[in-house]
Amino acid sequence: MDFAFSEDQLSFRDAVRDLLTRECTASVVRDAWSNADGRSGQVWDLLAEMGVLGILAPEVDGGLGMTMIDLVLLIEECGRVALPEPIIEHAVVCAPIIGGVVSGSRTVTSFIGGSPFALYADSCEVALVERDRRLFTVERAALRLTPETAVDGSRRLSTLEWSDSDATEVGGPLEAVAAFDRGALGAAALLLGLSHRMLEMSVEYASERRQFGAPIGSFQAIKHHLANARIALEFARPLVTRAAYSLSVGDPDASTHVSMAKAQASDAAMLTSEHALQCHGAIGYSYEYDLHMWMKRVWALSSSWGDAGLHRARVAKAVL
Amino acid sequence: MNVVVCVKQIPDPAVPGELTSDNRLKRDGAKAILDESDSYGVEMALQLVDKAGSGEVILVSMAPNGEVSGLRQALAMGAARAILISDDALAGADALTTSKVIAKAVERAGGVDLVLAATESSDGYTGTVPAQVAELLGWPSLTFAKHVEIADGKVTIQRQTENGYDVVAASLPAVVSVTAGVVEPRYPSFKGIMAAKSKPLDQVTAADLGLNSISAGQSIVSVDAAPARQAGEKVEDDGTAFERIVTYLEELKVI
Repeated sequence: MDFAFSEDQLSFRDAVRDLLTRECTASVVRDAWSNADGRSGQVWDLLAEMGVLGILAPEVDGGLGMTMIDLVLLIEECGRVALPEPIIEHAVVCAPIIGGVVSGSRTVTSFIGGSPFALYADSCEVALVERDRRLFTVERAALRLTPETAVDGSRRLSTLEWSDSDATEVGGPLEAVAAFDRGALGAAALLLGLSHRMLEMSVEYASERRQFGAPIGSFQAIKHHLANARIALEFARPLVTRAAYSLSVGDPDASTHVSMAKAQASDAAMLTSEHALQCHGAIGYSYEYDLHMWMKRVWALSSSWGDAGLHRARVAKAVL
Repeated sequence: MNVVVCVKQIPDPAVPGELTSDNRLKRDGAKAILDESDSYGVEMALQLVDKAGSGEVILVSMAPNGEVSGLRQALAMGAARAILISDDALAGADALTTSKVIAKAVERAGGVDLVLAATESSDGYTGTVPAQVAELLGWPSLTFAKHVEIADGKVTIQRQTENGYDVVAASLPAVVSVTAGVVEPRYPSFKGIMAAKSKPLDQVTAADLGLNSISAGQSIVSVDAAPARQAGEKVEDDGTAFERIVTYLEELKVI
């Protein structure tokens, strides 16, 4: 059995990496902290044109009808650049069950799985919501939004209220669990990408910053921090890939595999952010330096879509 | 309207390069990518064919080891087919040899109205191939185009100069080299990436093009490291340092 990613999957990843490296620079992320909607502007449209938003959408809706194993590397790339967009909610959670998402012009957010907040609800056209373990869509005009403060300035959060008469049912309990699993796995993949970039920044900094006549990266205390972060990420990655594969083939234990992935990715990302900050020293938490934008996204996402504790409990319930 | 775009597949600049024992860039096993400077020509060609309403974009590339990864990138952008010349006899070919091969490949493509190329490649930098190809084909050569228009059997370009641009026109068929600013290259779509794998790719040798006794035409005698950057000039500001800055900028003709 061949467990490697296919040539197409790697080509898609390279294309997305090229696009995001050029278009979603750190200054785009920084702008999202202060602009009107917290989002990236044209990057969303470019991702739609490339086909990223429609990977999971059925072909009849203009999507590619592919699966999570085709998408997981691309979500990781979105994490690498800290893309300020509802990529999980739109492309991972909603695309398979809500039509009209491929072009990106009708942006969808989600408010499911016990999440206390919806992301970018103020700039989305429709929301996928959950009530009594059933999924519904509600148009933006029928939603009552209460803005909330976010640790990550680009994440525009709000709580949502709506009337049942404005909600259209799109799925039952099985679809609700599947949607949550996709969201949790998407968050795990984003966390991997965010963490890898933080580690890269830290290695670059430790190679350039000199103290006592040598780059600080030559000191054992710094090396250990960076190596431990790398180890944690390398242990999380196979779990994320396995969970994506399980969701793709309908493995009956897919939910457990997703929880193993999210728990491990959340812990690895938090560890990486702590070590990245330690290796940078004071500059790491200064507003002008880019690292804090990645760090705060990690803080937010490590507890979104279920924190490590929730997912460990889910694994325990399944295996004990 | 059929447009040939000369594209070069170069070693990924992000990966440290190595030299072979005869001082050439080692290409075995190195990941090749589409030279970014060629992506502008591909985009320009796609727009011109689209505007004309008929015809196709044909890629021509000369590369060792049957390398196709850079060609696939350009096919994914929308080019219809490609001709790849891959031949051990062409290893380390000089600019004139390369031009002879490309000119023959353009003839093989058939019915070509326009050849587009970058002004120079990002790994070789000779900058002479487009004009040589034009000469070998007996077609007009227009260079450094920052804007290209086709109408009434003529190609008209804005030729970039130090102070602005000249408007230059020639009858078709012609060879045009385009600058990096000519258009904004599109990103390939996933559907384009998948379709690129099944697009026609005509792999030929020099002999297939009728070039039976061709050789590299050059050898690289030695390679030296680039000189280290010179230390800059330090000016202690006694209140008049701005005058030195102004003078320096004037010397550069910036102001």
